[in-house]
Amino acid sequence: MADELDLLRRANPVPADAPQHADGPLDHRGERHLHRLLHEPPPAPASRWRPTGGRSAHRGVRLAWGLAATLVVAVTALTLLLAGPSAPPAVAAPRPLVVRADATPVPLDLLAERAEAAATDGEPGLRKGTHVQSWSLGMSDDAPPITLPEERVVRWTADGRHTELVVATDPRHPGRPVIGEDEDGNPRQVEDGRVVSDTTYPPSWSDAPPHSPPPHDPDRLRAYLEEAQHTDTMDIAQLLDAADLLLDNWTLGARESAALVRLLADTGGLRPAGEVTDRLGRHGQAYVHEVTGVRRMLIMNPDTGAVLGLETTFTEAQPEYGVAAGDVMEYSAWTR
Amino acid sequence: MSNDEIFAAAYREHYWAVSRYVARRLDGRTGEVEEVVAEVFTVAWRRRAELPHTPLPWLYGVARNCLANAVRGQGRRRRLLARLGNDDAAHGRHITSGPEAEPPGGWVHEALARLSARDQEVLRLTAWEELGVDELAVALGCGSRAAAMRLHRARARLRTEIDRMGPASATAPHRPHPATAVDATTAKEHGHG
Repeated sequence: MADELDLLRRANPVPADAPQHADGPLDHRGERHLHRLLHEPPPAPASRWRPTGGRSAHRGVRLAWGLAATLVVAVTALTLLLAGPSAPPAVAAPRPLVVRADATPVPLDLLAERAEAAATDGEPGLRKGTHVQSWSLGMSDDAPPITLPEERVVRWTADGRHTELVVATDPRHPGRPVIGEDEDGNPRQVEDGRVVSDTTYPPSWSDAPPHSPPPHDPDRLRAYLEEAQHTDTMDIAQLLDAADLLLDNWTLGARESAALVRLLADTGGLRPAGEVTDRLGRHGQAYVHEVTGVRRMLIMNPDTGAVLGLETTFTEAQPEYGVAAGDVMEYSAWTR
Repeated sequence: MSNDEIFAAAYREHYWAVSRYVARRLDGRTGEVEEVVAEVFTVAWRRRAELPHTPLPWLYGVARNCLANAVRGQGRRRRLLARLGNDDAAHGRHITSGPEAEPPGGWVHEALARLSARDQEVLRLTAWEELGVDELAVALGCGSRAAAMRLHRARARLRTEIDRMGPASATAPHRPHPATAVDATTAKEHGHG
């Protein structure tokens, strides 16, 4: 009879020689993280509701809207958790963006042509750093999902330093309390504009994507994004992930935006959906990619192709996660 | 050597072993694995004064706690997304209905999944990270006797679950997972970088 431990050993899902994790020298991410630990201030402690460090430290962290129905549940639960002023907090999350039924969708090829035409003078230019308003559906095993609205501004200086300011705010409801986090990372009602973190980082000069400047040629941009994502080829879902990563690090100029639109058009898989008004009141063209249970919608400026936002919405209910069909898991709105 | 130098050496030596530890518990999804590994070493950095002479079991203990946080928080959301079809094919584990189903590792995983989280972890640390009892005690944060007892009981419960899955499982021990057939009898899991 086989020893149960032997059986388990043979079912090891990641053996010691697994290609992505085999022993050897550190890869550049490992080196970079070690360098940060040894030479830069440590990130904030991990939150129970989000992975460590928030959007700044980990690219996957997203801000998102939740559907009103979900927030009714969340607010009910939070009423028990939160103590604060009597004014209602700005926790009512909007529904997914509504695509105008009467608007004619703009094919992505046409948008790419517009973007290329708009980029001839190279203005506006590329800028390192980002400015993003975002809403993130935080999940916990023991409480309903909640939406955390945040604004994050990252600015770099010529000497290689950068600053990162994160505040809890919801621009739809200026001045009203929002759901934020306390010092231990637990959700609670906080005043609008509460500083979540304000950090200055010492000089850092990484020359690897996504920290190196992105090219404004579509083919080179693809190679750049593949390197940033550690992949050889990208389908449209991976390209959306990569674009998200890129926009978390750079405020694209006209030429980089044009290259990105062309790359999206050439990759295929994004369906023109029509005209939308984004969370910040800007008009955009929406392009949709759907997989089982999830829809991602990229919103772009109809004249320049600049990415305005990215919305991820559940299209199927996931009761065990407290998620209803139509809940927006994450939404990011980039500005200059 | 200073604490910083000792930490840097441990980081370089054990980075990939910790990566494998995390990947085994997150179905090997690269993006999430990297985040958790970074968190493991960030926590280890804060606690570098406590780093023991043989750091890997201790690092596994740190990783275990970080995974618990990741599982409770955003990682939960990402796994949901993954489950919805983003990268089903990337999952290293495919739960199957019985011992006759493929891949061969699937039914063992299913038996394992029927145990408590505590039993699962002591078994994984023993079988996949190949820790001895003393190392197990460090990773679990308990004494050696307690670790030995936990392992003994967990093994018995795993055996019971395997037997419950059908008589074929007990006589079908030599259908190794395609990716692990060699590994099962070779390299000791104490990453060297």
